[in-house]
Amino acid sequence: MDIFSQLPQQLINGLTLGGVYALIAVGYTMVYGILFMLNFAHGEVYMIGGFAGWWVLHLLTSGNRLVMNAALVIILMIVAAMAVSGLVGVISERLAYRPLRKAPRMNALLSALGVSIFLQNLVLNFQGAKPRFFHVSALIPEGLRVIEVGNVVFSFMRMLVIAVSFLFMGILTYVVKKTKVGKAMRATAQDIEAATFMGIDTDRIIVFVFLVGSALGGAAGTLVGMLFTQVDYYVGFQAGIKGFTAAVLGGIGNIFGAMLGGILLGLLEALATTFFPSAYKDVVAFTVLIVVLIFKPSGLLGEKIREKV
Amino acid sequence: MADVFVEQGGQRNRRIAWVAGALILLAALPHLMPDNYWLRIYGMTGIYVMLALGLNVVAGFAGLLDLSYVAFFGIGAYTFALISSSQFDLHVPFLLALPATAFITMGFGLALGSTSIRLSGDYLAIVTLAFAQIFKLLLLNLDQPINITGGVNGIFGFDPISIFGLRLMSPVAYAYLIWGAACLTIIASLRLKRSRYGRGWEAIREDELAAEALGVSTTWMKLKAFAGGAFVAGATGALFASFQDSVFPNNFDFPQLVIVYCMVILGGLGNIPGVILGAVLLTVLPEFLREYGAYRMMSYGLILVVLMAIRPQGLLGNVGFLSRKKRRPDKDDTGTLRASTDLYYTDSTPTAETRPVHTAGDGVALELRGVTMSFGGLTAVESLDLQLREREILSVIGPNGAGKSTVFNMISGIYPPTDGSIRFMGKEIGGLRPHQVAREGIARTFQNLRLFTRMTVLDNAKVGRFCRTRSGALSILLHLPRFRREEAETDTRIREILSLFGGRLTGYRFDQEAQFLSYANRRRLEIARAMATDAQVLLLDEPSAGMNPQETLEITEFIQRLRDLHGYTILLIEHKLGLVKTISDRVIALDYGRKIAEGTYDEVAGNERVIEAYLGRKTTKTGGPRPGRDTEQ
Repeated sequence: MDIFSQLPQQLINGLTLGGVYALIAVGYTMVYGILFMLNFAHGEVYMIGGFAGWWVLHLLTSGNRLVMNAALVIILMIVAAMAVSGLVGVISERLAYRPLRKAPRMNALLSALGVSIFLQNLVLNFQGAKPRFFHVSALIPEGLRVIEVGNVVFSFMRMLVIAVSFLFMGILTYVVKKTKVGKAMRATAQDIEAATFMGIDTDRIIVFVFLVGSALGGAAGTLVGMLFTQVDYYVGFQAGIKGFTAAVLGGIGNIFGAMLGGILLGLLEALATTFFPSAYKDVVAFTVLIVVLIFKPSGLLGEKIREKV
Repeated sequence: MADVFVEQGGQRNRRIAWVAGALILLAALPHLMPDNYWLRIYGMTGIYVMLALGLNVVAGFAGLLDLSYVAFFGIGAYTFALISSSQFDLHVPFLLALPATAFITMGFGLALGSTSIRLSGDYLAIVTLAFAQIFKLLLLNLDQPINITGGVNGIFGFDPISIFGLRLMSPVAYAYLIWGAACLTIIASLRLKRSRYGRGWEAIREDELAAEALGVSTTWMKLKAFAGGAFVAGATGALFASFQDSVFPNNFDFPQLVIVYCMVILGGLGNIPGVILGAVLLTVLPEFLREYGAYRMMSYGLILVVLMAIRPQGLLGNVGFLSRKKRRPDKDDTGTLRASTDLYYTDSTPTAETRPVHTAGDGVALELRGVTMSFGGLTAVESLDLQLREREILSVIGPNGAGKSTVFNMISGIYPPTDGSIRFMGKEIGGLRPHQVAREGIARTFQNLRLFTRMTVLDNAKVGRFCRTRSGALSILLHLPRFRREEAETDTRIREILSLFGGRLTGYRFDQEAQFLSYANRRRLEIARAMATDAQVLLLDEPSAGMNPQETLEITEFIQRLRDLHGYTILLIEHKLGLVKTISDRVIALDYGRKIAEGTYDEVAGNERVIEAYLGRKTTKTGGPRPGRDTEQ
């Protein structure tokens, strides 16, 4: 009886998590779609986005009051997170991945692992190991703090996360499907050489993909920071695995698959917390990952790739 | 029979001197350490050497990015902690506990490996990473409902080591124990590397599909690499637990994994002396840089990035004085300079030997009946019948996209045919895995060259012997007579085969990496590699592609001799019709996956449908070019 009455609430929680996972997964999948490289450092990019958001909030708060309009602060936080994360993504592409584009895939993977460790410990050294807390109460409009419908709680932050993440997914879908640069992205993902011959500057497309993917990851970092009110140097690791799982679940390389996979994974996790002790919450994601990879490595929407002989 | 392990006197003496020197140094060092702190570091260095060498088997030899490696280290340590302490009052004696731990960990390695080994590269990495995370979650949470792992507090206070009543307590004794084990690991690594296992793993790392097609049972070998790595990690874990006298979850965390990976990569994946040096450097150096401790992990990250960009082969890769001396490629044994053209055209004059002794027989070697291959909606080959007679040279021709390579892929087991039967010497082989087909006696070459580029010419060919040798891990590690005999046989046979190609693949080229060979020589090496499997039937996929006219003539003659002198049965795909005309007993023409003509070269060449397939229709009844011609790569 308890479980069924909790269902609508878990659906909301699942959608919140799912939106965030989808934003992270998109970054993995876009890079993988073009370079066949698993960007291990993407979780760290997400974490840095969280810190960027925290700093904006920290600098714009004096005492317990904001120095400007709350909506503006939220927008600034997200924009700053996207800018900083996007920059980190582009720099790491330029310095760590581009030199390895023709090297064996294992080298690029190890280099990405190196970037991940470097960024994580960079933040550890400059921000310390203690979590930073987001003092979000000033951000939330009084009347909207909590809305209850029946026994379902719609908290403002959850609504914000869902709204922002779905907005970004909508924009990305539009860009990929309808714009010139989106067409170039799709062409590059299908065949990078052929795209080059057709006059597409694929290096710039790759930079653009890193920029967009990392910016979305950064936005996710700040959103989660606001939702759970804290960020520390280690959050990127878990988030990275979740995002990757979502990307694999949807079919890696497929942007819409990543969105679908993210939302599904979020819902699954939320449901699982109703049945299992919360200490094992993360096992759900890992199990999903392992099961999908072993039984259907091409994911829900991915294509089966056959090696040419 | 030449024993490849007999070295020349001087070389052997020098090696003994090196080994003795190293052993004396290792034995003396514990007594020279200024205090117990440094003695501890000495012990830890030995542990890291073992750990890095174990990872080197998985990641270095076999090229598997195993991110659960440190979990195996942890499984070893915790297993030891559980069976050799008061936790469950088991108190297993050390001499039993150490091997038991290693084997239990290997069991975990096999179990985990068998679920994920089919995944390639990054997928394997991420699944093993997930396993490692689950392991850590279990360590942290299995202190309730019953206390197994002790949660964050770990387990401590183990039984003191006693070997035959002799109690090992002092740090010096531990140093001897650990480094003794490390030396065994080093010897085992060296022996594995120079064996059929080492070559099989290296081939998988370089090109898994080619390794499989040449008779290496890739899945099984990868599993063995996984298990071997887990075995070493487990034993090391037991030593580590006993040495530290405690185990905690964060001993086996992600940073630990990164440290071990850095050691292996710094030394160069697969390079044993390099990995040892990497482990020593990265254990000892941080001690001198204590005050910058906070930047330690950060610099590990940087090391990985910079090494991958600048020296992916590791610090010691290609460093002259540590790798074996190679002969100058432009000089022969006497040291005089030879022009490359000399090398090319020696041995190409036909000798009296070229008198044919074999001709096509009547028995059927290979028979395809109603074989069909469809990829989704596309039917690449449609109910094809084909008979290859014993010692026959049969050529398959046809325009691009006709399905020729698909036929080869079905025979060699790379694609299981959708329908029909493939029989070899009366035995059904359709649906066998490629390495099983190779073992049956059919070997192939690849149209787009799939050599193991970073292996030497000799080793490339030796991979072909994998399916004809049987030595197991025990024979290899202990250099049992069977291993010595097989290695000697392998060496003789390979040299025999390579010498058929004259100066092109012999002499100084034995030790040359395949990536430095000329295009024509790579094609030759592909054929040599296929011959090394003791195949009766050779499937040659465009053997003359990319060769100049002179080289084409030569390879034509060579293929002819393979049949005439050595009795091979040959199925050939070729676009150069001159070659086809010269050597084929019969020719089959394919178009759109169907056989359109069969017979002697002249019959097929004069066939109207063949001409049409190559040149198009004269009268355009159907009109316009047909689609789907350019699907072959």
